[in-house]
Amino acid sequence: MLWYKVWQESRTRFLIAALVLTGFCLFATLAHRKLGPLSSGSVISRIHELIYSGTAKGTFAVLSIFLGLGGLVRERARRTSTFTLALPVTRLQWIRTQIGMGLLQLAVLSLVPVLLLPPLSQLMHEPFPLSDTLHYSLLWFVCSSLIFAVAYLLSVVLEGEYTAAVLCYILLMLQALLASWRPLRPYRLNLMWTMAETSRMPWSRLWALALLTAAVFALAAWRTQKQDF
Amino acid sequence: MLWYKAWRESQARFLLSAGTIAGLCVAFVVFHREGAPVADHAQTYAEYIWRIVYKGYLRELFVLLALLLGVGGLLRERDYGTAPFTLALPVSRWHLLAVRAAVGIVEVTILSLLPAVILPALSPLMGEVYPWSQAWQFGLLWSIGGAFLFSMGFLASIFFAGEYTAAVVAVLAMLSYSVAVELPVVERYVPDVHDLMSGVGMPYFRLDTYHLVGPLPWTTLGGLLLLVGSSFALAGRLTQRQDF
Repeated sequence: MLWYKVWQESRTRFLIAALVLTGFCLFATLAHRKLGPLSSGSVISRIHELIYSGTAKGTFAVLSIFLGLGGLVRERARRTSTFTLALPVTRLQWIRTQIGMGLLQLAVLSLVPVLLLPPLSQLMHEPFPLSDTLHYSLLWFVCSSLIFAVAYLLSVVLEGEYTAAVLCYILLMLQALLASWRPLRPYRLNLMWTMAETSRMPWSRLWALALLTAAVFALAAWRTQKQDF
Repeated sequence: MLWYKAWRESQARFLLSAGTIAGLCVAFVVFHREGAPVADHAQTYAEYIWRIVYKGYLRELFVLLALLLGVGGLLRERDYGTAPFTLALPVSRWHLLAVRAAVGIVEVTILSLLPAVILPALSPLMGEVYPWSQAWQFGLLWSIGGAFLFSMGFLASIFFAGEYTAAVVAVLAMLSYSVAVELPVVERYVPDVHDLMSGVGMPYFRLDTYHLVGPLPWTTLGGLLLLVGSSFALAGRLTQRQDF
């Protein structure tokens, strides 16, 4: 039942995100060359430009912020937190469900290009390798999980409706700016760069990101358990 | 009182945005000698400021912040259960909407003028010069571009009630717009606000000096203001018909 409740609260955002990613995949593969610079070149180059290095990647990162927003602080503003807390589940179970549903939605969104790009590009006689789509999907999932976790933590801590979203976006831009500072550039700390990593899978970096994500979730869970609603 | 109410509802977002933009402007000026952090080659100060502020990170930050300042409104108040209190105030719905729009436009204008004040004022302290005229012209372009983006968020909050739905739709509308204006069939008729704000590809911007030259596109700016006004008028009309 908790899963259904969390799904109902986030489904509109999830479905809009899925629709937009689908649109990007369709445009990248099926767009006619005469539509201009975004549709010129081969299907494979368009997929890299628009999806894995370009607008779709940035869109996915921003949508991850909005999927992570919610929590009991927002429910308190809507005066539904007492009903939620009266349910016969612990706060930890409720938090785990929220996080689980969010990660599941991110996984599904990360797989949208996997499901669409290989068959659609095959239709245009320029098949995009399935292995490449899976490579990028894993990168997208791990990086967006960290963004989701930070948005979730901020929405647990901050009261205003959009304050968490604004701060999360600011932090995303700040990390990109810091990562592009020359002394830090060799370490490739920018999440957007990691999401577009074309060389072999950066396993150590992905593990570090996954651990950081888990730590952020743990902090959010600890904070929620201490809060008074 | 309505002004104070609208200010209170958006102050956290505004103050966070203003603090970030101001802080980044100061940091960009103070640390510019650390080797123009985002470039691989030697740059003039004008190029550095243009790339990092007016074309790059700060502009991208400003775009989304202006959009998110627009969301809110009576549909969100309905979910919180405060819409009846607001609608019981002795003011028309038009008045409520107009004040929220005005407060938002003032906030977006302040955000867009922060670099116009900080960059020319602080640059001489670091041994560099950035002309006030350049900064204020960019500030004007950002004010009107920002007003357009604000109106996107504002309009989305009239149509969509769900929590964060309006914000998501507004962000996606802005991104779709950004992709669409790159298409030749569209760019002939629809101005690209991002290029307008940065000067990229525009006749009033010179890439060799990284300065705005010649007259600003007053017709385009006037058209955008008209569009912004029309968006607010549409929002007002729809709000009058909505049932809270």
